[in-house]
Amino acid sequence: MGHPNVGKSVFFNRLTGAKVLESNYPGTTVDFTKGWMRFGGEDVELIDVPGAFSLEPKDRAEEVAVKILEENRDSVVICVLDASKVERGLYLALEIIERGYPVVVALNMWDVAEDKNIRIDAEKLERILGVPVVPTIAISGEGFKELVSKIKEAAPVKIEKIIENAGGVESAAVSG
Amino acid sequence: MLKVPLSVDERWNLIEKISKQTVEFGARKHTLKDAIAELTVKPLTGIPVAIAVLYGFWSFFIDFAGTLFTDGFMVRLFDEHWLPWLQSVFPGGLGNPFYALLVDAGHMENGVLVASDNCLESFGVLTSGFFVPFGVVLWAVLAFYLMFALLEDVGYLPRLAVLVDTVLHKIGLHGYAIVPTFLALGCNVPGVTATRPLETRKQRFMMITLLSVFVPCGAQIGIMQDLVPELMGWIFLTLVIGYLGFGFILNKIVAGKSPEIIMDVPPYRMPMLKNIVSKLWIRTSRFLLVAVPFVLLGCLIVGLMYLTGAMDWLATVLGPFLMSWFGVPGETVAPLIAGFLRKDLAVGMLGGLMEQGIMTTFQVFTSVVLLCIYFPCLATFALMLKEENWKEFLGSIASLIAMVLVYGGLIHLVGIMLGVA
Repeated sequence: MGHPNVGKSVFFNRLTGAKVLESNYPGTTVDFTKGWMRFGGEDVELIDVPGAFSLEPKDRAEEVAVKILEENRDSVVICVLDASKVERGLYLALEIIERGYPVVVALNMWDVAEDKNIRIDAEKLERILGVPVVPTIAISGEGFKELVSKIKEAAPVKIEKIIENAGGVESAAVSG
Repeated sequence: MLKVPLSVDERWNLIEKISKQTVEFGARKHTLKDAIAELTVKPLTGIPVAIAVLYGFWSFFIDFAGTLFTDGFMVRLFDEHWLPWLQSVFPGGLGNPFYALLVDAGHMENGVLVASDNCLESFGVLTSGFFVPFGVVLWAVLAFYLMFALLEDVGYLPRLAVLVDTVLHKIGLHGYAIVPTFLALGCNVPGVTATRPLETRKQRFMMITLLSVFVPCGAQIGIMQDLVPELMGWIFLTLVIGYLGFGFILNKIVAGKSPEIIMDVPPYRMPMLKNIVSKLWIRTSRFLLVAVPFVLLGCLIVGLMYLTGAMDWLATVLGPFLMSWFGVPGETVAPLIAGFLRKDLAVGMLGGLMEQGIMTTFQVFTSVVLLCIYFPCLATFALMLKEENWKEFLGSIASLIAMVLVYGGLIHLVGIMLGVA
């Protein structure tokens, strides 16, 4: 899961050897594709989904993504974030964590973030979130080995634990 | 204590807390990439850049596909070798129904049935049926998708969307519409699926309807360019006016909202050869898989309709209407029928009629435009059924019929007023 144009399809193609279209604009993928990847000596199913900004779908493509997530309650979710826009990506990642999915976070487009002079402390982020966080550059394949090896470390995390790790958070005055 | 799930604000507060501890924003350098990015979205420089990019796209398309492959090589191969060879070795000969269906139907000249001398006139499954996809369209599709993949991977499309945003807002669409429209210029099918990121049903309905009516696919453009290169400017102008004009009208009469879509403009990237090749392969093979069987089937159906006399009957029945309303001869029925299956085959058949000299230039122009707008091909039609609900689908069909009648009649009227029809 991840925002539009963060590189989900590139991950999918790299991990499964499949060929789904990859392009440099949001909205390339509008339907899901299933594929198989080798993982710890067995074949595991991986699903490529369209980009979504949140779990409250606003359009047909997002509907597809959310539906796939809900239909696969016992999956591990690879959350692909654009490292140059971490905050926005974290919103979706937190939503998925709150729903109890085991998550691995990929900080993709690490190179773009470096270009923009954005530095992320991935280890600290990992400690706060309590889920594996791996910097990646999908188009060149950097960080993939580490990402795959950490899939088995993914476990559901309670949001209260994350709040505690982050040093607490005031409940919002305007709550929804 | 906080309740799970968090509220939107609480989640953002938490994110702020986390990012303060983990993310550090350094000073942004203004790089060459940024400079290029700005030049291509500011109207003053962006519009000339857009014109240059589209012109380059088009030039490559006609030079590579049309001049180099089709005219330079494939036309000769098919007309000078393949057709004469089949005519000499295939059993039956002119007048034999089986021969007519597969190789050459021939045509009447001064009351005598004569053999065809090119693969568009012959109408056979083995001649026209192979010439259209492999002689013309394949190269057009390859050229289109090569250029398109480059534009996609560089990241130019979202910039183009920003540029045309103001114009498209006037017809209730958003700049993002450029993505489905451009995709549809390759093939309407992915164009229609690419409307999914549009937010409201109104926008999707409008986009799907406009696409399926006014956007010709790459296969069709390729063969039009091969047959009537001198008319291409007029054809595109007519289609663009139709797209914007009917978009404007649809926006007024369709209920619903057209909210802003916030689209991210990605950074420019260097396209990677591997990805370009892979996309070219995926899309071209998909084209061959879908198009070739339909072209062959279309050839066969039209051939059978000629042989059984059904086509002549239809031409006589529909001829007066076609002539009085659109100003095109009854013979246009054959391409119109073929167009239900494949537009490229239909335009190719029109080429066959042209070569027999039974149409004026204006009639050719009108028929080519009619072929674009009268019906989406079968594949697109089926997809519209899947993507739209029943009400919307019927709405699409109704607007389609209305648009064809109004616009086709209007073109005829303008032709009469200009004295060319």
